[in-house]
Amino acid sequence: MKRLTLIILIAFALSLSASTLFAAETFDLVIPLPLTGKQAKFGEMMKRSYEIAAEEINAKGGIKKKKLNLSFEDSGAKPETARAIVEKLIDTKKQPLIVGEYTSSCAKAVAAVAEERKTPYLVVASADDDITRQDYKYVFRQNAVNAHYADGLVSFIKNVAKPKTMAILYESSAFGNSGADAMEKDAQKIGVKVVLKEKYEAGSVDFKPLLSKVKAARPDVIYMVSYVMDASLLMKQIKELRVDAKLFAGGAAGFAIPEFIDNAKDAAEYVVTASLWCFKMKLPGAKEYAEKYKKLYGDYPSYHGASAYSALYVVKDALERAKSWTPDGIRDALKATNISTAFAAIKFENKEGYQNQNFMDTIVMQVVNGEHECVYPDNVANQKYVFPIPTWRERR
Amino acid sequence: MTSVQLEVLLQTLISGLLLGGLYALIGIGMTLIMGVMKIINLAHGELMMVAMYIAYVLFSSFHIDPYLSILIAAPALFGLGVLLQKYLINPVLKVEAIIPENQVILTVGIGMVLANIATIIFSSDYKTTPVEYATKAWYLSDYWRESPIELSLSMPWSVSFCVALVITASLWFFLTKTDMGKSIRATAQDKDAALLMGVNVERMRVFTFGLGSALVGSAGCLFIPIYYLYPDLGGQFTLIAFVITILGGLGSTVGAIVGGLILGVFESLTATYAGMGWAPVGRFMIFVAALIFVPGGIMSLFKKRRLGK
Repeated sequence: MKRLTLIILIAFALSLSASTLFAAETFDLVIPLPLTGKQAKFGEMMKRSYEIAAEEINAKGGIKKKKLNLSFEDSGAKPETARAIVEKLIDTKKQPLIVGEYTSSCAKAVAAVAEERKTPYLVVASADDDITRQDYKYVFRQNAVNAHYADGLVSFIKNVAKPKTMAILYESSAFGNSGADAMEKDAQKIGVKVVLKEKYEAGSVDFKPLLSKVKAARPDVIYMVSYVMDASLLMKQIKELRVDAKLFAGGAAGFAIPEFIDNAKDAAEYVVTASLWCFKMKLPGAKEYAEKYKKLYGDYPSYHGASAYSALYVVKDALERAKSWTPDGIRDALKATNISTAFAAIKFENKEGYQNQNFMDTIVMQVVNGEHECVYPDNVANQKYVFPIPTWRERR
Repeated sequence: MTSVQLEVLLQTLISGLLLGGLYALIGIGMTLIMGVMKIINLAHGELMMVAMYIAYVLFSSFHIDPYLSILIAAPALFGLGVLLQKYLINPVLKVEAIIPENQVILTVGIGMVLANIATIIFSSDYKTTPVEYATKAWYLSDYWRESPIELSLSMPWSVSFCVALVITASLWFFLTKTDMGKSIRATAQDKDAALLMGVNVERMRVFTFGLGSALVGSAGCLFIPIYYLYPDLGGQFTLIAFVITILGGLGSTVGAIVGGLILGVFESLTATYAGMGWAPVGRFMIFVAALIFVPGGIMSLFKKRRLGK
């Protein structure tokens, strides 16, 4: 009888502790993301990456022994929806920090809400320069801004290719214009003359007239700002016309994704492109994360995923250092962040008119043997760059 | 003129002619339909899109070369055209409506439906048929070593151009030399007289719509190796076909070829000498100029506004 009472007592105590474990020993984090609509592909990738990170963190004992409990809310890449979700999270759920979103317009909306309600917000993959230029005290961004996106590439052009002239081709859209203008400024800074700057209509069929003109101008570098299908057509037709240059460079977007190589085939060979992250780069944790992702979902993630994955480690680090788990406590801890993650080294700085912005090194990828390899800067490169590149005639 | 400038000019003209040949094949189907039935088929580009998806499926599932898939896609599009004409357009043509051009609105609707069906089946992702010869080209310097200038002639573009010419020539032969072709032309010229002469006008119309669809279908198959594919691609090609039809003269096959070539060359020249961003502007300048100065199309200048001649 005594023994039975004891067992019952123990069982009772256990169930009590178990229930408290579930009730109080978790940290709930709701992440707004686009899971439907045009951006769903990226939202999905980020969701999976958050989940991988949460699982790893929980397997190692959680954050200060609390289990990290993730859930997601679909914003459909609509700023109004994102705004409503975050208002609810802060006002009713009293969530002390916000992580997430993808498109710049949503991130802007969320940032405004977070700042107004004095709750820290960690921006994960939105690149619009303005988000961290509005004197916000509670908004932090770990990915590079648009204006610094091509820093790695510019340094590669300056130190490796050492060209005298450059041609810039870009699509006539806000994205194309800003990319081309930024590169023109950078080119001037490093003393490269822009001999030709031409825009084209996205979705064009025939780039050959434009490319004949480029060929006649004989630039050392051809820099293109394009989305994927224009990027592939441009390179294919460059090959057809045998337009030779010391370097073919792409401003990320269309050039940095595997579809570019699938479509342009051998014409994509040796093209370099700016990027934030590559699963092949030598950065502790990057490869492990990418392999885990590939094992679960069948393909390698892009920087969006890596940034999301690392964001939870930034959160974990901040929460562990925070004096209290209140919005202000977490904000102060985030401000003092200085860690290296699978995405990049992360440290939030105020400079060049940005507040709480992480100035990460951006990288250069080159297509070698039909695959994107990280070739620059040397400390993270997994392979030496191919330069000078052979002419089209030599290639065959 | 230096050799560099000459090279740019010649290369531009080559690209323009090759592009023009393809434009002509896209335009010819529309001009045929417009000539015979006096309706503007604004689903023209979408029909081309359907043919491209057929070519894409044949390529990705059965490894059939896009050029060979003309043999499947063109008859399929013929069937689709016949069905559309018989069960959708003809009934609407018979109805007295407040707006006289209600068939035009109908074709816009058909186009939207086709584009949306394609989105549902294939999603809005870009698709391509990565063929081996996609970037193959012939170079002048390979054949003539001392050549001061370098010109290149893309293989898939040239093949498409030649096939387009063959198709157009056989169409011309069909329209001028066969009974059926003559009946179609008769229907185009005077529907009532043709009816009195014993031509089955109704059948000719159905047949013509099918033929026009088959033509743009083969244009789609010729296009896919050099371009790519997505459900909303139709619109821009409908516009091109429309410009060519106006430029060449309604219902004139030769006019469509001339119109296509003019448009192709003009676009390439604008791209080279005014900037590629200006190419669409150039297209519409031609369109407006044609409407103002040669309202009957180029062929009206030769005073022979008969279909096929």
